[in-house]
Amino acid sequence: MAEHEGTNNGFEPEITVFTCIYCAYMAIDTAGALRINYPANVKLIKLPCTGKTDVRYLMEAFEQGADGVCVVGCPLGNCHHVHGNERGQARVKYTKQWLDDIGLGSDRLEMCFVSGGMGETFANAVREMAERLRELGPSPLK
Amino acid sequence: MRREPVGAVLVLGGGVSGMRAAVDLAEAGLRVYLVENRPWLGGRVAQLGYMFPTHDCVLCRGTSDHGYGCTRPSISPAFMDHNVHPNIEILTNTDLINLAGYAGDFTVTLRHRPTYVNAQRCINCGLCEGVCPVPLPSPFQVGMSARKAVYKMAPRALPDTYVVDKVPRCETCRRCETVCPTGAINLEEEEIERDLQVSAIILSLGYALSDPTEYEELGFGRFPNVIHSMQYERLASRSGPTEGVVMRPSDGKLPERIAWLQCVGSRDEKHPYCSSICCMYATKEAMLAKERTGNVHCQIFMMDERAFNKEFNAYYQQAQEEFGVEYTRCRISMVLEDPETHDLILRYPDEEGNFVEGRFDMVVLSVGALPPDGSRDLARLLGIELNPYGFCQTDKFAPLETSRPGIYVCGTFSSPKEIAETILDAAGAAGDVMRLLSDQVGERAFGREYPFLAEPGTLPPERDVDGEEPRIGVFVCRCYPSIAGIVDTDAVAEFAAGLPGVVHVETTDYACLEEGQALIKQTIEAQNLNRLVVAACSHRTHESLFQRIAREVGLNPYLVEVANIREHCAWSHMDDPRGATRTAKELVRLSVARAGLAEPVHRQAIEPTRGALVIGGGVSGMTAALNIADAGYDVMLVERQPGLGGNLQHIYYVVEGDNPQRLLRDLVNRVLGHQRIDVLTSSEVVSHEGSVGAFRSTVRTPGGEIPIEHGVTIVATGGQECRDEVYLLGQDERVVTSLDLEDIITHRPQQIENLKEVVFIQCVRPPGGVKYCSRTCCTNTMKNAARIKLLNPNCRVVVLYKDIITYGFREQYYTEARQRGVLFVRYDEEHMPQVRVDDEGELEVVAWEPSLKQEIVMHPGLLALSMAIQPSEGTERLAHILDVPLSSEGFFLESHLKMRPMDFAREGIFLCGMAHYPRFIEECITNAQAAAGRAITILATPKMYIGGVVSVVDQSKCVGCLTCVRTCPFDIPEVRYEDVGVGEIKGAAWIDPALCTGCGTCTGECPAKAIQLTAYRDDQILRLPLGAWGERVLS
Repeated sequence: MAEHEGTNNGFEPEITVFTCIYCAYMAIDTAGALRINYPANVKLIKLPCTGKTDVRYLMEAFEQGADGVCVVGCPLGNCHHVHGNERGQARVKYTKQWLDDIGLGSDRLEMCFVSGGMGETFANAVREMAERLRELGPSPLK
Repeated sequence: MRREPVGAVLVLGGGVSGMRAAVDLAEAGLRVYLVENRPWLGGRVAQLGYMFPTHDCVLCRGTSDHGYGCTRPSISPAFMDHNVHPNIEILTNTDLINLAGYAGDFTVTLRHRPTYVNAQRCINCGLCEGVCPVPLPSPFQVGMSARKAVYKMAPRALPDTYVVDKVPRCETCRRCETVCPTGAINLEEEEIERDLQVSAIILSLGYALSDPTEYEELGFGRFPNVIHSMQYERLASRSGPTEGVVMRPSDGKLPERIAWLQCVGSRDEKHPYCSSICCMYATKEAMLAKERTGNVHCQIFMMDERAFNKEFNAYYQQAQEEFGVEYTRCRISMVLEDPETHDLILRYPDEEGNFVEGRFDMVVLSVGALPPDGSRDLARLLGIELNPYGFCQTDKFAPLETSRPGIYVCGTFSSPKEIAETILDAAGAAGDVMRLLSDQVGERAFGREYPFLAEPGTLPPERDVDGEEPRIGVFVCRCYPSIAGIVDTDAVAEFAAGLPGVVHVETTDYACLEEGQALIKQTIEAQNLNRLVVAACSHRTHESLFQRIAREVGLNPYLVEVANIREHCAWSHMDDPRGATRTAKELVRLSVARAGLAEPVHRQAIEPTRGALVIGGGVSGMTAALNIADAGYDVMLVERQPGLGGNLQHIYYVVEGDNPQRLLRDLVNRVLGHQRIDVLTSSEVVSHEGSVGAFRSTVRTPGGEIPIEHGVTIVATGGQECRDEVYLLGQDERVVTSLDLEDIITHRPQQIENLKEVVFIQCVRPPGGVKYCSRTCCTNTMKNAARIKLLNPNCRVVVLYKDIITYGFREQYYTEARQRGVLFVRYDEEHMPQVRVDDEGELEVVAWEPSLKQEIVMHPGLLALSMAIQPSEGTERLAHILDVPLSSEGFFLESHLKMRPMDFAREGIFLCGMAHYPRFIEECITNAQAAAGRAITILATPKMYIGGVVSVVDQSKCVGCLTCVRTCPFDIPEVRYEDVGVGEIKGAAWIDPALCTGCGTCTGECPAKAIQLTAYRDDQILRLPLGAWGERVLS
């Protein structure tokens, strides 16, 4: 935390992470188990699969003032539900387009794919996103 | 004195095969003791990051349960701590030390070596590891990284606990004992011996790796950059010592050129068998290297590429064509090192056959499989025979039985094999045991009514919370110091008290320990709570525990929410306690909101129809039918031909010497005489509807159509030898197929005695047909070639081949054929053999001899073609009737190539024999028993539960647009004409609750939002605090 104090008036981005309960959840668990630290700016919402990702959930998160949203699923080709993550990916792409159209910017939305052992990859994704959002500043919808 | 039978089975070995056998036996209502000599389950597969040819992990797809999360290293949630199958007792760090008795009534003596940690009290905080001063090499990382004397194999381990690998220093140190916050460590723990009464034993001991130091010339142990394949697996694994970055051991450089040397410890004088897996795993390792860094050069040095299972050939092609993996046919005899750079130098022939020197950054030795450590002593103790290679001896026609009745074997202990076949073996051995214990099958039933497994009748009636305002109780687990050492749990509790619907908040020391559980249960009752939130650790490991205890006091498990403030919060933000506390509050806020919106979820119980339909009456179909009938369930066996037997009718001898015709007679007699089997010959299945436990089919018989109700379906429709006109087949009577040749050798041997030359051509497939290995042909050719040499030693026998695929112990027949003087000449796509009738009317075969680099011309009296084995005629039609998919080769396609090779994605339909892929008789038997065993688990279930967290269509909103039909990964939704949609239109979507897996993919796509996923409805999710946090950072 200390290292970020003072940047952008102490703004701490609030990131909503939608995660599937299979590889993605496991990777986040692994990050914890290995004490891989990442910024305390994320809250996790579990979905049975990233195939459940609904464009409205993503938009609702922004509408409620999230500074960033990240969808985390199993690696492509490794989804517990075979193709669910690909569907999720398609919807995230679509939503990014909307975000650009309405001027909120697609930079505030990400999707990443991790296997259960990839705690470091997840942590990196959060670090990068938090860093980017600090630069972008608070969501105008807040 | 005879004791009462116990219906208990000892499964020895807790790798994938042991786990698969255990879970099937448990589901069939038998008691299982799963004994593992290491401290954790998982075996070899736990060390593998990726499987060939799918490059996935998906151990979570080992069984059909959904909604439990990652189950690695096990194949099923039935092994996860806090959710272990009620019928399974896991005994790790335990050895079998004595056996007495006989099949049906054994007494086994087990010795449990102390782990010095009480698994029930270990909360995985890792403090012990932190203070332990003793570093040791990590066996999980194959010595490539260190662990402490007190350690856990990997973050994911089962049981989920640390253990102490006690060293002398521990006696005086004892820091772990002192630091453990729950008092779980006791360095004085002593070993325990225990006698168990069991009816049967399954051995699933796995295998050992061959020792690469035996091959001094290959440099392992001398040159740092020569590693073995298991080390490579760990390096390439995301959970490996380098998190998946393959680096040279000598200098950490990323390798640019990697060589794999095949058959290290296989196919040589010392180990005269093929280890069956190395060709494919080396291909996988090379492809992964290419995937990660495109420009790395990967070269595999091999003798034959043995890609002999479903989709393997396509995979091998892909490695060469798409990934550019280079395959060189050469057995490397020596590895040299440049001492300055530690680069490695290999000498091998190039495409023209000239020897060249190649420089590599890294050399991987593809080590083979040895019998498991200690198996010789164990075999003596158990009184079972081993084969000459030290693996378990089995009978060709009873491939899962050891030489001692009541003791079964599965997996690599009987022969080296890949995961899919290990799984088949294990399910098959379990099926075999169900037959032995038929009077006990189904005795220990349990229910899948909830997300956890419970014995029926043990839970109190459920409380009706309908219409009640939420009364939410929040328990904040301190888990000191894991959580409370970082997160201000009191502040979190105070925050929670102010949230809507919360009527009770409490912090507790360890919610998961017995005392914590008791507190939660008492409070739910005392405070009349109707919702529960536990802010503690991972959903993956503990959600089912809290759901269970809530249900034990009458709360529906779906009224329970967990907030993971340990792994997802405290441990991830150790450097930021303020941020961690704030995150914890937000996670609790979210869980409280979720609990407030939660509603009870119930599954619907159905009683399965206790009968099976078996389609196909060959060796597989008959074996499956007998196994199910012997276990006590009715079977309808449908065969298209007028008689039973299938391909087995035309097999007269096998390479091992057994008599297949005796097997045929035996099977037919037993099937026809069995009280529980009805046989319909000259009949075909023409319709198949319904879902698991409640199928309805129609069979067309010579006497008319018959409706059948059955709980399960087994597809055993077999394969057939292709007879297309290739190489003058069907035009010249001297050109025969391998089955024809077998007929000649058996019934007209005099015809062989007069021949001067016989030529075999391997891998013959119809022009334009899909390339794949038919698996049995090479061994069949060895058998026929040897027979010809026996009948007529002067006859020249030439085999034209691409790759000789005599995997496993079949390698000895290849060796034998060469010893008998059979000549082998390799051909490839550029040099296909040519066959014609010459001017004198003689048969002429022209082939290219690659080592002589010239054409050879032969005039055989008989040309035997090893024709491709294809799916039976009508396979496509049947696939359509059953609504199941086909593979690229045209065979039936199972649910998952590795983890569920005998199950279709469509529950309750199973697959076996050559309908799956070409295979040997013993493999068909194993496979049939596996399908039967899986079928029995369903037939033995008193009540099946369907529905629950599944997608539900509100047809009054449905426009019948078919989006869900296109979106579903499992092809489950259908638009039914008889249903009525929005505005009274005809046709609306319907999702069968018995089939839906609950992923919710359709709900995210449905444009009318007519589909909702139970427990994840839009009106539940959209009302959660999805955006800004409840507590702002003060700036």
